Amino acid sequence: MPSPSKQFDAIGAPWQIDTADPLDPEVFAAIQRRIEQFDRTYSRFRDDSLVSRIARTPGSYPFPPDAPPLFELYRRLYDATAGAMSPLVGRALEELGYDRTYSLQPTATRTRVPDWHEAISWNGSELTTLTPAVLDVGAAGKGYLVDLVAEVLAEYGVSSATVDASGDLLHRGDGELRVALEHPLDTSKAIGVVTVSNEAICASAPNRRAWAGLHHILDARTGLPTDRIIATWAIAPTALEADGLATALFFADPAKLAEEFDCQWVRMLSTGRVEHSADFTGELFL
Amino acid sequence: MRSLTDNKTAVALFAGVTLVGALSACSSTATTADVGSAETTVPDATATGAEYTDGTYTESGNYTSPDGQEQVDVTLTLESNVITDVTVVGNGDNPSSKQFQGEFINGIAAEVVGKNIDELSVDKVAGSSLTSGGFNNAVDAIKADALAE
Repeated sequence: MPSPSKQFDAIGAPWQIDTADPLDPEVFAAIQRRIEQFDRTYSRFRDDSLVSRIARTPGSYPFPPDAPPLFELYRRLYDATAGAMSPLVGRALEELGYDRTYSLQPTATRTRVPDWHEAISWNGSELTTLTPAVLDVGAAGKGYLVDLVAEVLAEYGVSSATVDASGDLLHRGDGELRVALEHPLDTSKAIGVVTVSNEAICASAPNRRAWAGLHHILDARTGLPTDRIIATWAIAPTALEADGLATALFFADPAKLAEEFDCQWVRMLSTGRVEHSADFTGELFL
Repeated sequence: MRSLTDNKTAVALFAGVTLVGALSACSSTATTADVGSAETTVPDATATGAEYTDGTYTESGNYTSPDGQEQVDVTLTLESNVITDVTVVGNGDNPSSKQFQGEFINGIAAEVVGKNIDELSVDKVAGSSLTSGGFNNAVDAIKADALAE
């Protein structure tokens, strides 16, 4: 890419922002503030976040104005996956060892992931928890933060940009991007290529966050990692949707998701076979 | 694209196979992963020694669903007696036919062959999130513990 790039680490992953002109330090500072604000609300990995306070004490908690799209998407995907994709998998992830200190040591305890209605209620601005609920918005949160970072760029007049949070990629403005779909079993290889323009492509696979035979994509109905699908890709207008859909593709009938959302998708089964939406515009190396 | 005039047997045979797939998709919700493989040898070609003419063929197939007569259009490409491409278009009008035909069409799946990313001209790679900092350190620490034990 000829564009100047800004690289940094945020919320546990490397990021890169490509823009036509070098990113102004003032704009980058605003981006970092936005990321910090998001992390302080939603991170399960820091003690001072809103999500950590909620985990300690049940009650009613007002959320910042960025919360409604996130909770609404989670609710739609919770319904579309018959409860398999849930923001309530936080405790199960902790018990499996994906906790604040990255102990990566599964405990003997397995607490059932509660159903949405028994644990939380979202009224559009406030979340009421009935038990000490450990929220984990990891399945769509990073994608959403990519959208929010692109909003900060737009506020500063940077309308053409690519925000790549590693796995969650948003293109805005002029031109297009040719994107390789990484093979989950051999990351030096691609299984296909697709061109995106003014849209997001998000990928999900358990290959890099795996430990002790476990990984981080849990079916809320069993509380255990999924094993039938080994990689997914979703292309949607926003990174919030694409990220959430990439996770939902591990659990749901893709035809049902495509009915509900404006998206293209590809997924790879553990047998090595690949399925894709009829409208997938990219090339797969079949 | 050539229409099917000179080699009806081969395509009708394949269309028949395809429709069995479509109908079995109606009776189970499983995706028909085995139906649309990219490299499928035309079964009769090797058995009888017949040679099929390379080209792209289109044929419509009919079947009777509980809601009446339905049609799917199958287009396939033959090269050296091997089917190298298959497209299926559903024409179902009633909701359940649309659903099942859609599931069938979406369910076309095939083995992929990875290509080296280095040799592809791409701007970006879409894979699972890279890890940084804490997770990597934790994995390293666990590996070190495991070696020490």
